Amino acid sequence: MEKKTLLVASHIDKRFGLTHAVNDVSITIAAGEIRALIGENGSGKSTFCQMLCGIYSIGGGTFTLDGNELHITNQVEANNAGVAIIVQEMGTLSGLTVAENIFLGHEDPFVHHGIKDTRAMNREAQRLLDEYGFGRIHAAQMIDHYNFEDRKLVEIVKATYMKPKILIVDETTTALSQNGRLELYKIMDKTRADGRSVIFISHDLGEVLEHSDTITILRDGEYIDTVKASDVTEDDLKRLMVGREIGSTYYRTDYGTPVSDEVVLSVENVSVPGEIENISFELHRGEILGFGGLSECGMHEVGKAIFGASWDRTGRVKLSDGTEINDIPTAIKHSIAYASKDRDNESIILNESIRNNIVLPSLDDLANHKILNGRKLTNFARTHAENMQTKMQNVHQYVSDLSGGNKQKAVLARWMGKDSDILVLDSPTRGIDVKVKQAIYALMGELRKKGKSIIMISEEIPELLGMSDRILILKDGKINGEFLRSEQLSEEELIAKMV
Amino acid sequence: MENKRSREAEPSKLRMFLTSDLFKGLLPFIGLIVIVVVMNILTEGSILKPKRIRLLLSQVYYPMIVCTGVFFVMTLGSIDFTEGSTLGVASIVVSMLSFYSVPLAILGGILTGAAIGALNGFFHVKFKLQSFIVTICTMYLFRGVCAYMTTETAIPASPAIKALDSNELKIAITVVVLLVAFFLFKFTRIGNNVKAVGAGETAARFSGVRTDRVKFLAFVAAGALTGLAAFVNVIKVGSITATAGNQLETQILISLVLGGLPITGGAKVRFSNIVVGTLMYTVLNNGLVMLGFESAMQQLIKGIIFLIFVALTIDRKALKVIK
Repeated sequence: MEKKTLLVASHIDKRFGLTHAVNDVSITIAAGEIRALIGENGSGKSTFCQMLCGIYSIGGGTFTLDGNELHITNQVEANNAGVAIIVQEMGTLSGLTVAENIFLGHEDPFVHHGIKDTRAMNREAQRLLDEYGFGRIHAAQMIDHYNFEDRKLVEIVKATYMKPKILIVDETTTALSQNGRLELYKIMDKTRADGRSVIFISHDLGEVLEHSDTITILRDGEYIDTVKASDVTEDDLKRLMVGREIGSTYYRTDYGTPVSDEVVLSVENVSVPGEIENISFELHRGEILGFGGLSECGMHEVGKAIFGASWDRTGRVKLSDGTEINDIPTAIKHSIAYASKDRDNESIILNESIRNNIVLPSLDDLANHKILNGRKLTNFARTHAENMQTKMQNVHQYVSDLSGGNKQKAVLARWMGKDSDILVLDSPTRGIDVKVKQAIYALMGELRKKGKSIIMISEEIPELLGMSDRILILKDGKINGEFLRSEQLSEEELIAKMV
Repeated sequence: MENKRSREAEPSKLRMFLTSDLFKGLLPFIGLIVIVVVMNILTEGSILKPKRIRLLLSQVYYPMIVCTGVFFVMTLGSIDFTEGSTLGVASIVVSMLSFYSVPLAILGGILTGAAIGALNGFFHVKFKLQSFIVTICTMYLFRGVCAYMTTETAIPASPAIKALDSNELKIAITVVVLLVAFFLFKFTRIGNNVKAVGAGETAARFSGVRTDRVKFLAFVAAGALTGLAAFVNVIKVGSITATAGNQLETQILISLVLGGLPITGGAKVRFSNIVVGTLMYTVLNNGLVMLGFESAMQQLIKGIIFLIFVALTIDRKALKVIK
């Protein structure tokens, strides 16, 4: 039976200066459908959705919802027309209460003669929160009181309480833990059951296959194909996204390769108040040591602690020669590298050139009697950026102009330039498309063979299983499980130790 | 996605040029030429007469030395409002010590300035107070010291130090300061680190930059150079009154911004900002005086030009509170 058509996007187009972000894309979405939109970074999927919900102006073409053409200029109008979005970044406003956030832009029902009835608003917000099963969040409380994940849940309520005809979920799941994801899937299913539709953007292809009905693939702003989720495999999708065959060497394929006994770094009773407690472990030469857990388990702090970047740390981080690492300059001097999960703030200076970012930790090595030579710096940066195949115009380009994947390549390029022996990589493939992911995994494999040691902190379980020689699972700031690399090791075993 | 930042759908070529980094980089030079030409026409050619030029130059030295120090602070994205009062206090020290020995006076001036800079840096770094707040407080403090020391009478300097007043010496000091600072900024790690902190403090810290030390040193340098400028000031004026260095901090701030230094500091800072900015301010100031504007009107015109330059040169991507 043919379902009723809900949304018709016809010849949608958008340019940003010279970039053709969305190129003549036409799609049709039926009522009661979960449509995934996938593509690499920069393929135009987010831009497409942001035009639909009024964040960007429509460059060309029309959106027709339920037979009416949409003329939307901002998000509130979009909401009123029946289109709502949950965004990737933080979408709630600090300094407002939960209730004020939920009804932002829709306060009118609670305003009588110009005066806001706060109690009625809180009551209604609490009713909604309870209805969604988020009763532990209090409507009258300031939003700042809650962590990132709870704020995301509030955003979900905000976007869906008015029952939009089209709900856009833009890479929201990367911000959520397993539980939060389940809540979100439930809401998506419910929307479908009501005969409304969902546009679902995600980099996690497993999740896409499991939770969507149909999948539209975009590449470089162009429409490639729409397929049924039941007809395709993850590999098919990767091929469609990238436009060529992705090799089978996505993760490491070796099992049972011995790891050296030589300890390069030992961590003894390290604690950071409120984050981690009495963490002790040893890192071996040529080992990839994975750290996993729920997003609040403290594993991200472990990376900072090793790098000397934690405030208030106790315990000892020691190299094989006995050197203790207590601050960042010492860590870098002794060949420790760190790529943060918070890439844009901690890993790289956005408002600075690729060149200056790459040379920054290596300035002392590049100086001749403390004097720096500009050409030498440029060559050094170019060599390492090109080795990483960073997509750029030249090394003087600003990092802020690069896509997420290329920023990460620039981050890695600087540590390759420093030739660090111990690499602490926190969420190295976060928000990065398959092509770059593959390159990063290949690099990690190579470094491992050269005898470099890697600590990989990751929220992606398949990545932990696929790349690590050994996995430590953290729960509530403590080590709660240790697994050695094995083909038999399953996601369930890891999850069991996380929750 | 990488596209999000450029929001203009189809920007016109003119608009693209006006917002380009090339244009922003050229703007101070264009501004300097325009101001010189306009002033020359309005004063019917008298601003470019040799005598006038010599007078102009004699006003350039000490602000340029002070600008060089503050340049480092502003590259950090911070601000320093203490130059005026530092110059006042350091000038008093120089004058008093000049009766014992001239080298001692120079050293005393520099150390006094450095000490005030160190105080600013200490409060800014250790107590994580914004430089804006710290230096406004210390500005009042040292302005008070300066006024207290000069209540009875102006403080005279020794004839020996006044005898040194020559353009050659002032040019030499200024050139040496500029060369050393240029070398530090361009060819050493410390210069690179100052820029990195200005562009992104957290990421710089995670790249191994000792951010606290860098910030502290920048304030000390700004103070020390102001102390050196106090020496140049003393040989020129000969005696110090309560108003010594009054409003110098705003003059420096305006000069650097006119020179194209983005008030947010960071990667787009150029060393030429110091030279171009100081020259521009001096020409503008002299031109307005020669044209016979009242001082109230002069301030108004300077204010408008300052606003226009801030708006044109500021790096909006990096916009945040001044540290």
